[in-house]
Amino acid sequence: MINPVEWPLVGSLKAVATLFTRMCAGRETGFNLGAPSCIPIKSTMDNPTTTQYANLMHNFILKARSTVREIDPQNDLTFLRIRSKKNEIMVAPDKDYFLIVIQNPTE
Amino acid sequence: MPISPVNGRRQPNVGVNIGLGPRKSISFVGAGKGALMKGGYAGANQSRMTMSKNMMILPEAKQIEKMTISSAKTVTQVTDIHGVDVTPKPLYRPDPYSGTGKPNKLLTSQDGSHTSDFIASYSLYQNTLNPSMLGQFTRSVLGSSTVSKSSVSTSESMAEDLEEPSYKRERLSSFTDLRVMRTTPGKIITKEDLEKTIEIILTETETMNFLNLPTVMFSVESEEAEKVSQRNKNYETLCRNRLGNDLYVERMMQTINGAPKNKDVQCDKILKEDKGIMSTAWDLYDSYNAMELSSLPSKRSMINSSSKASVPSKDWEQTVQGSNLEKISEGSSLMDIENVILAKVRDEEEDNSDAVFKSDKFQQDLFFMERVIMENIFQPKLAAYRQLPVLKEPEPEEPGDFLVDGKLEVVEEEAKKEEEEDLEISSEQSTIPANLERLWSFSCDLTKGLNVSSLAWNKANPDLLAVGYGHFGFKEQKRGLACCWSIKNPMWPERTYQSPYGVTAVDFSIGSPNLLAVGYHNGTIAIYNVQNNSNLPVLDSSESPQKHLGPVWQLQWIEQDRGTTGDDKREILVSISADGRISKWVIRKGLDCHDLMRLRRTTASSSKKGGEKEKKGEALISRQAPGMCFAFHPKDTNIYLAGTEEGHIHKCSCSYNEQYLDTYRGHKGPVYKIAWNPFCHDVFLSCSADWGVIIWQHENLKPFLSFYPTTYVVYDIAWSPKSSYIFAAANESRVEIWDLHISTLDPLIVNVANPGIKFTTVLFAKQTDCLLVGDSDGQVAVYELKNMPTTLDSNRGDAIVTLLGPKSSQSIIHHQ
Repeated sequence: MINPVEWPLVGSLKAVATLFTRMCAGRETGFNLGAPSCIPIKSTMDNPTTTQYANLMHNFILKARSTVREIDPQNDLTFLRIRSKKNEIMVAPDKDYFLIVIQNPTE
Repeated sequence: MPISPVNGRRQPNVGVNIGLGPRKSISFVGAGKGALMKGGYAGANQSRMTMSKNMMILPEAKQIEKMTISSAKTVTQVTDIHGVDVTPKPLYRPDPYSGTGKPNKLLTSQDGSHTSDFIASYSLYQNTLNPSMLGQFTRSVLGSSTVSKSSVSTSESMAEDLEEPSYKRERLSSFTDLRVMRTTPGKIITKEDLEKTIEIILTETETMNFLNLPTVMFSVESEEAEKVSQRNKNYETLCRNRLGNDLYVERMMQTINGAPKNKDVQCDKILKEDKGIMSTAWDLYDSYNAMELSSLPSKRSMINSSSKASVPSKDWEQTVQGSNLEKISEGSSLMDIENVILAKVRDEEEDNSDAVFKSDKFQQDLFFMERVIMENIFQPKLAAYRQLPVLKEPEPEEPGDFLVDGKLEVVEEEAKKEEEEDLEISSEQSTIPANLERLWSFSCDLTKGLNVSSLAWNKANPDLLAVGYGHFGFKEQKRGLACCWSIKNPMWPERTYQSPYGVTAVDFSIGSPNLLAVGYHNGTIAIYNVQNNSNLPVLDSSESPQKHLGPVWQLQWIEQDRGTTGDDKREILVSISADGRISKWVIRKGLDCHDLMRLRRTTASSSKKGGEKEKKGEALISRQAPGMCFAFHPKDTNIYLAGTEEGHIHKCSCSYNEQYLDTYRGHKGPVYKIAWNPFCHDVFLSCSADWGVIIWQHENLKPFLSFYPTTYVVYDIAWSPKSSYIFAAANESRVEIWDLHISTLDPLIVNVANPGIKFTTVLFAKQTDCLLVGDSDGQVAVYELKNMPTTLDSNRGDAIVTLLGPKSSQSIIHHQ
């Protein structure tokens, strides 16, 4: 989705990296990418916070997915947002990974 | 001699008791060898006994006989009235000549059958071996009526017994005598007693049925008769043979109950694990669809590395195990091997994560996530853009803003409700005049420093904006960029198309909204398909022989009726460039070019040279005039206006490619933009480098109304899609919104640019009250028009003419 001519394309990891930096250039605190086994693959936050988020969100995501599918088994969870006073947690779950982004509110 | 006590004694067989355990203590000394053995004596004891017995056998024999005889004499006699000897006979008659016999039998038959009295009176001759044993037992008999302690004492005192037989004998004999006497019933029967009549009534006692075994009758003719008779015969023979038969021996046995013993066994801890599962509807659904689902995961995940397709699921498990192992690992050789395995697993894990990163799904997820984040960040601005209520964070800090926003919203609502043509600002509460509020700007690192040269909305997707970046001047040429921005992501363009040449024109196609035509400063036209991510144009005119030789200043897709040939509406791309040609391009196996018009310099007065390109002599060949802009008539797509660098605006027709229909002269500098009024099709607007904006009427070749607000070049103008009175103009230093209904002298809104930045393009947003302004720094700012005096009646075609009617044929020059 972002293939600028100037930057040499080394797989799409480069592209992914740029996207990450863009997303973090805003007001987001950080994000991490966790496997279904709750091991963070890549993160912009420090390790303890990352693992904490990954572990806590894992069960929540499973529960949310179970809820959605229980109502209609052909349905599936695509996006999850938890908005709190201090920030917003957004999760894009997938079969192989969870993409979790924590964003500070726009102030 | 230990023999004497043998006969007259009724000695309890202690030895037997030992063996028999809890049996009654008193029993005959019927112990033979077997009994002794049964008594549990030690082997040594037995040997001693045998020795002693051997010694005593022979001399004892005679004495035993004597003893028996003598004992017989002492037997009491019982007679009845008639003198009949009714002496109860002993149940057992000892046979002096019998061998060892069967001691068990003797014992069992006598056990419990005698009272102490009888025992005393009868002698019991057992085996010849007995005497020695009797000798042992006597002591115990004398000692106590019970034999509980005899067992121990007898065994120990074996030796002693042999030595003291005489003493015992005497005692025993006296004892026997005593016993005999005691047992006899002493009663003197007198004659009178004998003659007394004693009535004895004999009655029959009731019959007691101990066993009632009714006979079972079988008919002789029945099937089982034979079996039954056979059985009967067998039984008879059995009964006959029973006595003395070896097959039937009455015998009693006692099982030895081993003493129970507790034994503890310890085993390894049995690991238990609780496992629970909640059966859910989706779980069942998944299980039933397992066949289909099993084939999908391999496809779904990795696309780039097909070889890893089957591996990932296993890899994940391995990685999980690997990580667990990692935690537990210690320093040992086994663990080294595991570490090696872990290293491999980690590689796989990295590959796996790479695969995850490369997967399409991940890209899509990132895309969505970015959009969501942008929405969060820009939510108020986007809401304002879309004229939605702005979500306000619940903050007590800024009540003022809240009120202001509320007022403004109220203002807008009221403005909409207004039906009057009253031009007053309808809000009573606020006195804020119409203004531009900057919402956000499209800009990123890529576009920094570039000059925005053109803006175009997508025809199908109102959120998609194409922006072309390129410098106008020849000397300032840098690389060019064409970007597609989405409203939903103001921070990064969705598509970027780089080129070494500056982009001077962009336009989206109407018929195929995914096609974007880009015109470059070097004259090439490229068409991109924005649906895919490819960086390459779909079509390129750089190799066309008829490509433009000068910068393509404007591009537009036109849907043209092809009435002559009877075809349907066909879309063509019209371009105008500085080489003086207006060309139409048709996509038909590549870009085909066809000249619509060749702009020639007019021979009329006040023609200026402004062209960069070839200047030919005035003699015979008419010179090309560089074209700057064009505008097709909204209704009649055959007619179009073309602006040249000379300052002339030519009305042309597609039918004629050599001649102009009309020429509008009024500008003194290159005409940069022409725009038809969307509501009134007779009026059009033009702007030029001579600092002026002129409104023309179609029929009138002279300017209708001209504005010279500043001394800066006006780069761009645009009519508002909502009102026929409003138009925007961008000159170098500021953006002006003019409302002709309010004033023809002054712009309604003036937005001054930051110093150093020139506003180069303007574009109205169609659905909303927003204005896009591009500047020379690569930013496209989105402004919201606030407090605009709007009227519902948008079709003001006639109105503007009537408004301007009385002022026609007057040109008003304004200076500021």
